[in-house]
Amino acid sequence: MKTCRPNLDVRIIYLFLAKCYKTYSKKYEKVKESFYNMKTGNKIATMKMMNGNEAVARGAFEAGVKVAAGFPGTPSTEVMDYTQQRYPDIYCEWSTNEKVGLEVAIGASFAGYRSLAIMKTVGLHVAADALGGAAGSQINGGLVLVVGDDVGRIAGDDYNDVRHYGNMFNIPVLEPSDSQEAKDLMVRAFEISEEYSTPVILKITSVTCKTTGRVVIDEDYTYEVKCREKYPVSFSKVIMTTIMTKAKGSEHPKLTKCFNDFPAHMNRLAQDSNDFDINRLELNGKKIGVITAGTPYYYTKEVLPEASFLKLGLVMPLPEKMIRELAEHVEKLYVIEDGHDILEKNIKDLGISVIGKELFPKFPEMMRFTPDIIEEKLVPNAPKRTPLEAVPFRLPVSCAGCSHLFISRILKKHKIKAAADVTCGLIGCFPHMESYSLQKCMGSSIALAHGYNIAKDNKENFVAMIGDGGFWATGINGLMNLIFNDSKSTVIIVDNSCLAMTGGQNVASSEFGFNYKPENKLDIATVCEAIGVKDIVTVDAYEFENLEESILNAVKAKTNSVVIVKKPCVTKFKLPKDTPSYIDQDLCSKCRKCINIGCLAIESKRKNGSVEIVINEDICTGCGLCSTVCHTEAIKN
Amino acid sequence: MFYSMSYGSYKKLKMQDTGKNIIIAGVGGQGILLFSNLLSKFYMKLGYELKISDVIGLGQRGGGVESHFRYSNKPVLSPFIKAGDVDYVISFEQTETLRFLHCLKDDGIILTSTYELTSTSVNTGLQKVMPGCKTEMIKRSENKKFIIDPDEHKSPDFNINKMMNVVMLGYYAELRGYSHDDMIQIVRENVPEKFVEGNIKAYEKGAAIACTELVAK
Repeated sequence: MKTCRPNLDVRIIYLFLAKCYKTYSKKYEKVKESFYNMKTGNKIATMKMMNGNEAVARGAFEAGVKVAAGFPGTPSTEVMDYTQQRYPDIYCEWSTNEKVGLEVAIGASFAGYRSLAIMKTVGLHVAADALGGAAGSQINGGLVLVVGDDVGRIAGDDYNDVRHYGNMFNIPVLEPSDSQEAKDLMVRAFEISEEYSTPVILKITSVTCKTTGRVVIDEDYTYEVKCREKYPVSFSKVIMTTIMTKAKGSEHPKLTKCFNDFPAHMNRLAQDSNDFDINRLELNGKKIGVITAGTPYYYTKEVLPEASFLKLGLVMPLPEKMIRELAEHVEKLYVIEDGHDILEKNIKDLGISVIGKELFPKFPEMMRFTPDIIEEKLVPNAPKRTPLEAVPFRLPVSCAGCSHLFISRILKKHKIKAAADVTCGLIGCFPHMESYSLQKCMGSSIALAHGYNIAKDNKENFVAMIGDGGFWATGINGLMNLIFNDSKSTVIIVDNSCLAMTGGQNVASSEFGFNYKPENKLDIATVCEAIGVKDIVTVDAYEFENLEESILNAVKAKTNSVVIVKKPCVTKFKLPKDTPSYIDQDLCSKCRKCINIGCLAIESKRKNGSVEIVINEDICTGCGLCSTVCHTEAIKN
Repeated sequence: MFYSMSYGSYKKLKMQDTGKNIIIAGVGGQGILLFSNLLSKFYMKLGYELKISDVIGLGQRGGGVESHFRYSNKPVLSPFIKAGDVDYVISFEQTETLRFLHCLKDDGIILTSTYELTSTSVNTGLQKVMPGCKTEMIKRSENKKFIIDPDEHKSPDFNINKMMNVVMLGYYAELRGYSHDDMIQIVRENVPEKFVEGNIKAYEKGAAIACTELVAK
C-alpha cells in the first residue's frame, strides 16, 4: 500500500493539472474570439474579419437602414453587394446612375427612414446636383452617402477627393481608418444626419475598402427600422436663403414655415465636434504633433509612436479647440492626409500654421501616403530601400475573348474614327491598340460623336462606342439628343449583360439582379426604336464577318444608326471555353500583329535567346480573333 | 507527416512567433486573395491580430495583385508594410517577385514560383524586356529563397499553373511547421465544394515538394 500511494497521488495531480490546462486553453481560445457578460455568462459580441466595404454594410444594418441605392464604382461597389447578400431586410437597388440613386435615397429619407446612397467620388460628380438639393434641407430619416475615393489611383481613376463636396455644400464628412471604425462611423453618421438635419458623407478609400481587419460584432443585434417624420416639408436651400437674405416678402408666414436654419445646425456641429469621441486627441511627445485622418493615421502612428496625434473621425467641420490644444502642446505640427490638401487649407484658415504639402508634395510626386514616405521625411537617418528599376509595369489589357476586342479590331482595320466610353472597351484607347481617338466620362461617347459630326457638317461619320452600363447610365440621354437634333451618327452599343468593369453588376437590360423580374427587363433595341433610331442591327460579337459588315453598313448609311453587339461578359458569366488556339512557330513571322489586338492570352516570350510569340493556353478562350489578323496562318485552333 | 496541433502547441507557437509581415504577390486570376483568406483563417484560429490589405489594380486584366498580410501578437497598425520590414515574399509570378525583393528584411525569406506571365507592356512593345534571366536574379539574391518550378511538378490531378496558390500554401505550412490537418480543414471549409478535391491534392503536393526539398537542404 505504502509504496503505491505516492505514485497514485502524482498521477491524480497530473491528471488534474492536465484537465485544468485543457479547459484553460480552450477558454483562452474562446475569449479571444468572443466577449462574455461577466454576470450572466452570455456571449455579447464576437470578432469577425471584415474588409472596409463589409464593415460599412454591417454598420448600415446596425443603424437600421431601410433603403440602399447607388451605382457601382471601384472601390465602394462591394458595399452594396455585401448589404444585399448579408442583410436581405434592407431594400437594395442598383439605380440607373448615381444621381438617380441619391434621389431614391433622398425620397426614402423624407419618408422617414434611414437611407443610404453608395457611389464613388467620380459618381458623386454626376449626383452633385441632387446632393446640392439635399444639403441644408430638412432631414427626416438619416441620409448618408458612402463615397469611395480611389486614393492612390489604385484602380486607375482620377485623383479626386470627395471632401471638396463637404466644403462646397457645407455638409459633414466622416472618415474611418479601419474596418472597426468604418462600422462604428456608419452608425454615427446616421445619428449626426438626424441630429443636425444634414446629409452626411462617409468617405472610404481604396485602402480602407480593401483592408481586412477585426471587427467586434453584436451577434444578438436584431434589425429594427424607425420612422422619423419630423418635418412635414423639405425644400432645397433656395427658400431658406431667400428668407436669410431678407428678400422682399420673405417674412410671410407661409414661407417662414418652411425655414430651416442650416448654418446654425452646422455651427452647432462644429462646436459639438470638440467633444466627439470619434475625434481623438493623443497628447504624447512635445516635439512632433500630427493632425491626420483615415489610414494615414496608422502609417504615422507606426513610424512615430512617440508623437502627439489628433486623429479625426469627423474631418469636416473641424474641432477647432482640439486643434489649438494640440498646436500649443507641440513644437512642430504636421498635417498628414491622403488626397488633396483640404484639412491643411481648412486648418490654415483658422490661423494655425501647419506643415503639409510643402514637405509632402501631392500628385504627381506622390499618389498616396505610405509608411515609407512618412519615415523618409520625418525620421532622421532612416534607411532607404530602392526597388529594382527595370521591373516592367503591367498595362491593363482586355480579358481573352472579350467582345470589345472584336470591335476595337474592326475599327482599327477599317480606320474608322471613333469615341470610346467608360467601359472595358476604353482599353482600346491604349497606344498599342489605337482604336479610339476620343474618350471622356461615363455615358459621354454618343454626345461626343454627335458634337464632332455637327461641327464637321456631317461630312464625316465619327462613330460612338458605348457599353450597356454607360448607355443606361447617361448615354441614353445622348441618344435622345442625337435623334431630335437630327444627327446622322452611328452608335455601337456593346451589350455584355452587365456592368463588367466593376465586376458584373446588373443594369436595366440584365437578366439578373436584386429586383429582377423578366417582365420588367428593358431591351436596348426596343428602347432605341422607341427613341426613333432609323437603323438598328443586333449581331453576335463572335460572328466576325457579320459584325464587320454590320458596322461598315451602319457607318456608310446616310441616317442615324445603332449596332447592338451582343456577347455576355466572359469573366462575369464564365462562358464555356473552346479549345485554345496555338501558334505554329515555323510559320510565325513575328510581325506582332496578333499581340496588338490587345488580348491578354498572347505573350512574347524569350526562349533560348530568341523571342517567340505564344498563346497562354490557360487564358485563351479559343474565340479565334487572333487568327483573323495572322497573314501567315500560323495561328491554329 | 500530417498531425493536428493541440491547444498547447498553439500556445507555444504563439510564444515563439510574435508576428510576421508577408507580401503575397502575383497577377490577376492566380488566387492571391484566396491564399491570403485561407492563411488569415489559420492565424485567426491561433488568436493573432491581423490586417490584410489587398492592392488590386486591374487584376482581372493582366495587372499585378499584391496582398500585404500582417499578423501579430499586438494590434496591427499600418495596413501596408514598410519597405525593409517584410519577413516573407510569397509570389506566384517571378516578375512580381523581383518587384518586391527590396522590401525584404535582411533575414527575410523568398518563396516563389518561376511561372511567368510576360508583362503586357513588354508584350506590346511599350517597354523593353528586362535584361537578364529572372530566375537567376532571384537566385542571386542574398536572402534565403525557396523556388518552385511549376514545370517540374506537373500533376495529372490538377493544373499547377492555376493552383499554384494552394501548392504554395502547402509549401509554406511545411516550411513553418504548421499542422497540415488544420490547414486542410480550412481549405475544405473555404473552397467551393466541386474544387475541394483538386485543391487538397494541390495542397498535399506543395507539402510534399517542401518536405523533400527541406530534407535535401
